[in-house]
Amino acid sequence: MSGPTTIGGGNGRDHLVLTDVSVDLNGFRAVDGLSLKVAKGELRCIIGPNGAGKTTALDMICGKIAPTAGEIVFEGKRLNNLEEHEIARAGIGRKFHVPSVFRELTVRENLDVAYSKHTGVFANAFCFGRGAERDGLEKLAEFVDLQNHLDFPAGHLSHGHTQWLEIALLLAQDPELILMDEPTAGMTVHETQKTAELFNRLKIKHTLIVVEHDMSFVKEIGEVISVMHLGELLAEGSVDEIEHNPEVRSVYLGSGGISGA
Amino acid sequence: MSRRTALQIGVYGIVCLAILLVPSFVDDAFILNKYARYLVLGILAMALSLSWGYAGILNLGQAVSFGLGSYSMAMALKLRTVPVHTGKAGLPDFMVWNNVDVLPWFWEPFYSMPFALMAGILVPALFAGLFGWFIFRGRVVGVYVAIITLAALVVVNLVIIDQQRFTGGFNGITDLAQFDIFGLTFDAYSSSSYYLVAASLTVCLFFALAVTKSKAGLIMQAIRDHEDRVRYFGYDVAFFKIFAFSVSAGIAGIAGMLYTIVMEFASPTFVGVPLSLSVVIWCAVGGRQSLLGAMLGAIIVTGMQGALSESEIFLDTWMLIMGTVFVLVVLLMPKGLAGAAEMLADRLFGQGQGKIADEVETAIPVREKTSGETGGSR
Repeated sequence: MSGPTTIGGGNGRDHLVLTDVSVDLNGFRAVDGLSLKVAKGELRCIIGPNGAGKTTALDMICGKIAPTAGEIVFEGKRLNNLEEHEIARAGIGRKFHVPSVFRELTVRENLDVAYSKHTGVFANAFCFGRGAERDGLEKLAEFVDLQNHLDFPAGHLSHGHTQWLEIALLLAQDPELILMDEPTAGMTVHETQKTAELFNRLKIKHTLIVVEHDMSFVKEIGEVISVMHLGELLAEGSVDEIEHNPEVRSVYLGSGGISGA
Repeated sequence: MSRRTALQIGVYGIVCLAILLVPSFVDDAFILNKYARYLVLGILAMALSLSWGYAGILNLGQAVSFGLGSYSMAMALKLRTVPVHTGKAGLPDFMVWNNVDVLPWFWEPFYSMPFALMAGILVPALFAGLFGWFIFRGRVVGVYVAIITLAALVVVNLVIIDQQRFTGGFNGITDLAQFDIFGLTFDAYSSSSYYLVAASLTVCLFFALAVTKSKAGLIMQAIRDHEDRVRYFGYDVAFFKIFAFSVSAGIAGIAGMLYTIVMEFASPTFVGVPLSLSVVIWCAVGGRQSLLGAMLGAIIVTGMQGALSESEIFLDTWMLIMGTVFVLVVLLMPKGLAGAAEMLADRLFGQGQGKIADEVETAIPVREKTSGETGGSR
């Protein structure tokens, strides 16, 4: 197991540190003593079989679930008991497994909400003209190919488009750390390719943690891969190391090895 | 400004103008008073639309704010009655009957009309703010909000009835002076009061419209749609809900004050469950997601109620007719009259959501569908 700083693309400074984090969900230890260090500007992939606790780990980082033990530190700030919006303000954004957008609002309105430089009630109560921002948001819509859908309710979008919209929402939010839960689910090969390109572009300026099943996608983007199994960290290393790790192979046994996962 | 917003402002303006022009055609003081009453209830429904339709907070206790506003105005007007109408030592008559010797401390400031006007807005808004702080910080959502607000309404109603010495109890506060400000006197049975109500309605309506058009208004709608998602963008959902709840309460307070001016008394029925639930029905009929719709819904329903119950033909059946109308509207027009009007306009001008939806279906190439297709959680 080698540290992220030796092979990772980040600049070496720890951005997010999980120390011995556990969570007990009604007696079930979904995550058990997980320690993870992610450097600034790194793109970290987390893989693992179903029920490994990957999504739960993301849930704890973004505040959806409070860890029962251990510590989560982001940029030197302890996140453990912060509320979701406080964690978001600290600079963490999340894309959910099930695309999670505002279905009754139009695409444009979705992007407007996501653009959250000012989060106060009164700052927003007196905010009407959004001309300058709108330019940026329209470019963003163009980037994810939704420029023709700006005034349609998000509920009318196809699954693939909804995925892209949520990615665009994250780009509008512009957090330092982006948590992605299976971003390519339901995407075509072409779209997956585009997502990989996007992530590679994002990674220096942002830190990304991507939970993914699609191994070819992970190979495309991954530098350091963390493998989780039964709530614990099983292995960590480069794509190559992970693929040849006997423990990882045994976990994935029966599903045709890791590459078939 | 989008075309839709411009159109909306135009329609709102035309409706307000039409309302302001009514006294030019109606000369009967009694009828004007009746219309003014409907308009006040329209403001009340519009306030509920702001919290229910926009922020998704179903407040069944809307009458609390209405009542607090109404009593604020009644207290001020009671203290302005000529001495012959009040008891000894300038005390309001009902206090004398209840053996109260000194004016209670919280009545004192109501000698000042500006204070009363402030109180009529701020007391409901602050009450809602405090109450909302507990509800929304505690993340109470959905039907539980409805239950808690309804319970609060019953409590406030009982307290007002129980504290007869200070509130007039069941009788309420009656025999009031006429509202006057800046040297103008507003007789409840004259066009002046009607204009006061109509002007207040216009101001409130456009104020509420501005709130919904601000980014805070957009975030409220996002909260209504998918509350949890909003948190992950860094917005404190509780404070946005408290904001919507308070602004709605403040507007309801204004409506309450106007109601006292128009009715010339304040009564515990203004803080009653029947009124509070009626507001919900008006909103549903008019369309809760439209401020104007909710307002017109209240005016139409109360107007119909008035007309039917007064006519001899429907004397026995008017409640049955109203009930049938409610059921039909809710069944056939889930978005109320405003939703139906919007759909009709879209059909006529061919640029609406329904058409867009069809276009989207054909414009978006069919993609790989996955099991996550039905994903959107609410």
